[in-house]
Amino acid sequence: MKKLKFTDLLITIMVGVVFGILMKFWDDLYTVVKPIMPVARQLIYGMWFMVGPFAYLLIRKPGTALIASIAGASLSAFAGHGIEVLMYGFVQGLAAELVFAAVRYRKFSMLIAGLAGVASCVASFTLDLVYGYAALETWALIVKYGLRAISAFIFTGIFAVLIVRALEKTGVTSLIRPVDKKEYTMLDQ
Amino acid sequence: MLAWFTPERTTWLFKVNPALKFIVFFALLLITLFNQNFSFAVWQAVFYGILFYVFSGYSMKKLALLSIPLLISFLSSALTLTLFGKGDTVLWQWYLIKISEESIQHGLLLGSKSLSFGFVGFTFLLTIQPVLFFYAMMQQFRLPSKYAYSFIASFRLIPAVTEELQIRRNALKVRNIRFARGIKGVYERLQMYTVPLFAQSIRRAQRIAVAMEAKQYQMGAARTYYYTTHYSRMDVVFIAVMVSGLGSVVMLALF
Repeated sequence: MKKLKFTDLLITIMVGVVFGILMKFWDDLYTVVKPIMPVARQLIYGMWFMVGPFAYLLIRKPGTALIASIAGASLSAFAGHGIEVLMYGFVQGLAAELVFAAVRYRKFSMLIAGLAGVASCVASFTLDLVYGYAALETWALIVKYGLRAISAFIFTGIFAVLIVRALEKTGVTSLIRPVDKKEYTMLDQ
Repeated sequence: MLAWFTPERTTWLFKVNPALKFIVFFALLLITLFNQNFSFAVWQAVFYGILFYVFSGYSMKKLALLSIPLLISFLSSALTLTLFGKGDTVLWQWYLIKISEESIQHGLLLGSKSLSFGFVGFTFLLTIQPVLFFYAMMQQFRLPSKYAYSFIASFRLIPAVTEELQIRRNALKVRNIRFARGIKGVYERLQMYTVPLFAQSIRRAQRIAVAMEAKQYQMGAARTYYYTTHYSRMDVVFIAVMVSGLGSVVMLALF
């Protein structure tokens, strides 16, 4: 386990902010879809859980999921979504972070990333419960949050992992991740 | 865009320490979040509404414009709960839609809460300067400088990122890219946009961090600040107004 260097921290926050901007645009799509297709709307909701696990998969260090999630939420808050998104950003990031801590920050698989997304979804549901969004009929509750959890798994587990893999091919991840032992030995030759 | 956010007059709220303002507002919103009492929620929304409409210092026209999203969020959250909320005293039912006394109450409670959040959020955003907010967080609340500067640097890059997003959108349009339907299309869209965007932002962030460290920025080192922020008499006034305001809300809700 490595501590965050300043470069890591700045990149983590930058990733969060870029996600915040993307979520702003995603929100336009969401608002269009909202009234006509309530099911499709819940299925693209996973985007809101993606930022934390994505940052973790990218930087692979403790704390990144939580920090990136808060950064994304604070951009949303500044973009006029209201301060409450900060609370959502915090609990969602924390939930994802706990999942990664449970595997000691050593696993980067689809399953773990997806589970972190579902954990974020559960955390946001808890906050919804307190806030009052969840005082729905049981069927509506199950449909709404069930679809949302599925979406969370798809976005954080599958999409985030695939996008990070695509980013690895571009070579930028070599700026962030610790240098491999192999590369050191190559220097000696 | 930014010119739009110049107030008509600078009220006393502008002179309050921005970090203190944030902490107090955040604490108030936590109360709003956990509160389940209906009349308390309504009076709270009224109190924050007064802050927003009277003391934000913006013209009525702009405030009316900002009220539109607040109204929409009030209606959408209140309506969903009214129509599909749980409750036993049914007033009207049609297929899946069921309106009951409890669901109306839940809907209005949620609606007032989202109004409170909206009013406080806008009042905060309209009366601070983001950079000074982060400086005050460092000086008055000991936020480590590494977080504050990372945030400031990232926020500065927002225009560059949105421009890149726009360019990418046009580029994809020119190349006549078609996305598949359904969930696969969602992924294609996401990948097409995010990969170049992230690659570029990561490079940029890394360069900034390296440049800062090259100029001897050190995490956790004692430092002086270009903008110094202080507490002033206005902060006492602010706390007094908030405490008495919340006190009156509690009184009004009880009686």
